[in-house]
Amino acid sequence: MAAGTTIHHHKPGHAQAGVRWRRPGGKGAGLWHFLSFAAPGTLIYFCLVVLPITLSFGYSLTDQALLRPKTHFVGLRNYQLLLQDETFLQSLRVTTILTLIVVIVPNVLGVAIAVLLDRRGWLYNALRSVFFTPMVISSVVISVIWTRILADDGPINQGLRALGVSEPPGWLSDPDIALYSLSSIVCWQMLGFCVVVYLAGLQGVPQELAEAAAIDGAGPARRFWSVTWPLLAPALTINTVVLLISAFKIFDHVKVITNGGPGTGTTASVALVILQEGFVENRTGYASAEAVVMLIVIALLSVITLRVLQRREVQL
Amino acid sequence: MRPTVPWLRPLVALVVGGVFFIPLYIALINVFKESRQVASGAMSLPIPPTFDNLIRVLTSPDSLFWSSLRTSVLVTSLSIIILTVLSAMLGHYLARQNTWWSRVIMVLLLCGLMIPPQVILIPITQVLKALGLMSTLQGLVLFNVGYYVPFGVFVFSGFMKGVPRELEEAAAIDGATRWQTFWKIVFPLLRPATASVLIFLGVWIWNDFLNPLIIYGPREGTTIMTGIYKSLGQYAADFGGMFALMFLATLPILVFYLLLQKQFVKGLTGGATKG
Repeated sequence: MAAGTTIHHHKPGHAQAGVRWRRPGGKGAGLWHFLSFAAPGTLIYFCLVVLPITLSFGYSLTDQALLRPKTHFVGLRNYQLLLQDETFLQSLRVTTILTLIVVIVPNVLGVAIAVLLDRRGWLYNALRSVFFTPMVISSVVISVIWTRILADDGPINQGLRALGVSEPPGWLSDPDIALYSLSSIVCWQMLGFCVVVYLAGLQGVPQELAEAAAIDGAGPARRFWSVTWPLLAPALTINTVVLLISAFKIFDHVKVITNGGPGTGTTASVALVILQEGFVENRTGYASAEAVVMLIVIALLSVITLRVLQRREVQL
Repeated sequence: MRPTVPWLRPLVALVVGGVFFIPLYIALINVFKESRQVASGAMSLPIPPTFDNLIRVLTSPDSLFWSSLRTSVLVTSLSIIILTVLSAMLGHYLARQNTWWSRVIMVLLLCGLMIPPQVILIPITQVLKALGLMSTLQGLVLFNVGYYVPFGVFVFSGFMKGVPRELEEAAAIDGATRWQTFWKIVFPLLRPATASVLIFLGVWIWNDFLNPLIIYGPREGTTIMTGIYKSLGQYAADFGGMFALMFLATLPILVFYLLLQKQFVKGLTGGATKG
C-alpha cells in the first residue's frame, strides 16, 4: 500500500489499490477529512440530541424547577413519585389504548387496500395518490378538519339527525368516546403510509408463486395467506414499528383537537403531560423523569417488536 | 387468472377511495363557501364558488398569513439546504470510512432516528438559551438540523453503496481533492437521495407543530402551522376563513412535493440509463 493517506481503511484480505490524495501529510489529512466532512453534522447532532438526552437523564434525578432557587440531587425519588402520579399513569393508559388502535387498524386496512389497488392503470394510480395525500398534510390541518367534521353540529351529526337520530354522540365531547374518535383520526392519517409500504411489498411478490399456487388449486384467500402474506412480512415490520413510534409519541392531534379533555385527562397522551409538566408547571426535573420513562418504553417496544417481527420474515 | 366479475375491483376501489377522501373533500369545498353555507349543508358543492375567504385571509390586517409564511419558508428552506449539505458529507464520510469512531457515530445517529422530540425538548431549550438562540429563527433551524441529521445520513449513506468507489479513486488519481471529488463527482450521482431527503424533510419541517411551538415561541411570531393553531380562536365562528388559511398553508408544500417528486423519478431513471 502506498505511503501517505489512502481513501479507505481496508479490512485484511480486501486488496485494493491504495490511492494517494493530493493533499500531503499522513495523519493531518485524515483529521482534515474528518473536520471538513464529518465534524459539522456530528457536532450539531451532539449538541442538540446527544447532550440533551444525557441532560434529560441527569435532570430526572434532580428536583429542578423554574421557581426553585436551588436544584438538589434527589436520586430516584421522581421515579417513585411517578408510580403514584394518577395523571401520569392515566396518560400511559390513554397512550397505550391509542397506540394499540393505531398499530392494528391501519395495518389491517392498509394491507386490504394495498391488495385492492395492486393493479396498473390511471384509476389505481389516482387512488394511490388519494390515500397518500394525508401524509403530506400537517397534523394541525388534519386535526382542525376533523374537529369540524366531528363537532356536535358538524356534518356527521347533521347527517345522523337527518336520519332521525335525535341524540347523536358527542364524538369529541363525550369523555367515553373522545379517545376512540381521536385514535380514528390518527388511523385515517397513517393509513396512506401503510398502503404505500404494502404496495411496495406487493411489488416484490413474484407473480409465478401465486400462479403456481393457483395451479395447485389454491383459492384467492388461500393464495393470500400462504403466499402473499408471508412475503409481506418486511412491510408489516416497517409499518408496525413506524406506527408504534408515531402513536406512542402523539402530541399534535391531542393538543389541537381535545387538549387532553373532555373531563380530566381522558385523552391526555404521555407527550402532552410531559410538555404540560415541563413548560407550563415548569417542573423540569420531574418532567424529565417522565420523558426518560417514555423513551425507555418506546425503545423497549420497538426493539421487542423488531425482534419478534423480523424473526418471521422469510427469505425468498 | 381471469377475475369472475371484472368491474368489481375498480368499483370497490373507487368506493373505498371515495369514502377515504370525504374529509379532504369537505375541507376543500369549504374554502370556496361562505361561512353561513358551511354551517348548513357541509357536503354540497360550493355553487357559486366564492373567493372571499381566500381574499379575507390574504388581506387580513394582522397579516398573519404573510408573516408566518415568510417564517416557514425561511425556516424550511434554510433547514433543508443545510441538512442536505451536512448529511450528504457526513453520510459519505461514514459510508467510506471503516474506523471504530465512524461506527460509533453511525450507531449514535441511528439511535437518534427513534428519539421523539418530546423527550429532549426541555434540555434543548436550555442548550439554546445558553447559546442565546432560544426564541429565534436560527435556534429553530439549528434544532431542525441536529434533530434530522440522522435521517439524512441514513438515506445518503445507504445510497452511497450504489456509487462505485472506483469513480472516486479515478478522480483522486487525476489529482482532484476530496472536496472536489465529492461535490463534482459523487454528489451529482446522489440526486435521487437528495430529492428524497429534500421531500421528506421539507414536508416534516414545514408541517412541524410542536418544535416551533416550544422553540420559536409566540413572541417572535409564528410558523405557518403554529399560526393556524394560534388563530383557531380568532376563526372560531369563521369556518370559511379557517379552511382558506389551512388551504393556503398546505398549498406551498404540496406544490414543492409534486415538483420534487417528478425530479425524484427523473433522477432514478437518469441514473439507470448511464452505463
